[in-house]
Amino acid sequence: MSYRIPIGPYHPALEEPYKLNLVCEGEKVRDAELHIGFAFRGVEYLAERRNYFQVIALMERVCGICSNVHTLSICKALERLTEIEPSPRALYIRVIVAELERLHSHVLWAGVAGKIMGFKTMFMTCFLLREKVMDALEIISGNRVNYAMNRLGGVNRDITDPAAVLKVVDVLEREASRVIIPVFASNRTLLERCAGIGVLTREEAKAYGVVGPTARASGLPQDIRRAAPYAAYDQMEFNVPVETAGDVRARLTVRALEILESCRILRQALQNLPEGDWWGPTEEVEVPEGTAISRVEGPRGEVLYSVTADGENDTPRRVKVRTPTYANMPSVRLMLRGARLADAPLIQASVDPCYSCTDR
Amino acid sequence: MSDITTIPAELGLDASWEEKYGSQWLAAGSADVRDIAVLMEARGARFVTITAQQVPDDEAIRLDYHWDLDGELLTFTIVTSDQQVPSIYELCPAADWIEREVHEFLGIDFEGREYEPLLLRPGDAAGVCRREEDE
Repeated sequence: MSYRIPIGPYHPALEEPYKLNLVCEGEKVRDAELHIGFAFRGVEYLAERRNYFQVIALMERVCGICSNVHTLSICKALERLTEIEPSPRALYIRVIVAELERLHSHVLWAGVAGKIMGFKTMFMTCFLLREKVMDALEIISGNRVNYAMNRLGGVNRDITDPAAVLKVVDVLEREASRVIIPVFASNRTLLERCAGIGVLTREEAKAYGVVGPTARASGLPQDIRRAAPYAAYDQMEFNVPVETAGDVRARLTVRALEILESCRILRQALQNLPEGDWWGPTEEVEVPEGTAISRVEGPRGEVLYSVTADGENDTPRRVKVRTPTYANMPSVRLMLRGARLADAPLIQASVDPCYSCTDR
Repeated sequence: MSDITTIPAELGLDASWEEKYGSQWLAAGSADVRDIAVLMEARGARFVTITAQQVPDDEAIRLDYHWDLDGELLTFTIVTSDQQVPSIYELCPAADWIEREVHEFLGIDFEGREYEPLLLRPGDAAGVCRREEDE
């Protein structure tokens, strides 16, 4: 006999509001229903009623963790429409902020995963590291959450002291190598808790259009930074970690390895920061009629923006946002089928869901 | 990198790819979106999403189907005046949520599928909030 367990939309097991109805038989999850929309703010609708400069600030508010990805995406789409090319220094600064944001997101997620697994020391360690990343972002932007770094054709602030940021990167790399990687790679308790649960096969990941670390943990080597490089990623050397098991452990491992790759990219970008301007055009810019699409690899995966301009008004006609959690979350249903009820919180958290992004 | 030049002919279209603002666009016109989905899946492409918007000063809805083929973004554009489009959900599960969202916001009926309860909008009214006359 099956029974139904409603979790959410507001529940201590969830970091953000959404609803998960688990259909169980004994201790096994037979099926799961997902309901979103509890953080729906109509951002796309609002974007069509703001001018192009206001839209950039609005899009920064889609997500509190990957805010930079959204401004980067919309600026890139607008730069394609207006055929404005940011300077090399601006492109490097964009890479630096994007990778710091990825570190911030991955370390935060590692801490949350630790907390869900009952590994409170890991939670504390990760959040201490996260503070250091946020300190670095504060050095650069003056802000710890919404950095307001991107603008049409450039960035709003220069990095005047790359050495100060490099020091933070050194600490992060050392601590990640000393604590996070060994724990996630070899701690027996943690591995037994994660291995073989929440499996998403490569075929399932492909069929469900899964993106980012979730896809890479299922054997799909897709990364927009590599497949369709933007900003200055074509000048960076980095690996795209891929695992094939498709379970929670693989998703942990991919993100842990990506922390080191982000440090590697940051070191290259900070040490080779080109000279020159960074602010972009200061005169009025006209946005011609047309639709431009941009894609950026956010911490959780590919973010797509489609911006349509009518060439007459100073507001976009249409702004479409496809966030990574929107692509990843439907696959959680597959991950949960057949899982133990006690594993459900960890499995749903293993895709690093963000409902502010998903609902918009 | 896959050769995309033969795709229009394989879909029975006279149109050809147009590169606009860094991505490839194809006016898919009379092509069946299910045929596009079958062809894209066969080529190993990944479904990305659908962008839907009302055609200016018109009742028609423009649907841009975005696919990723080896890192290249391919967009197939169709315009529907009767608000009905075949669903690709059964062929491509990745299209589930976005078809439901477009149904809720613009009232497009994706034929051949069942709709679960509304995804984003509260209540039970579908296809109202993104049309020009409703503003």
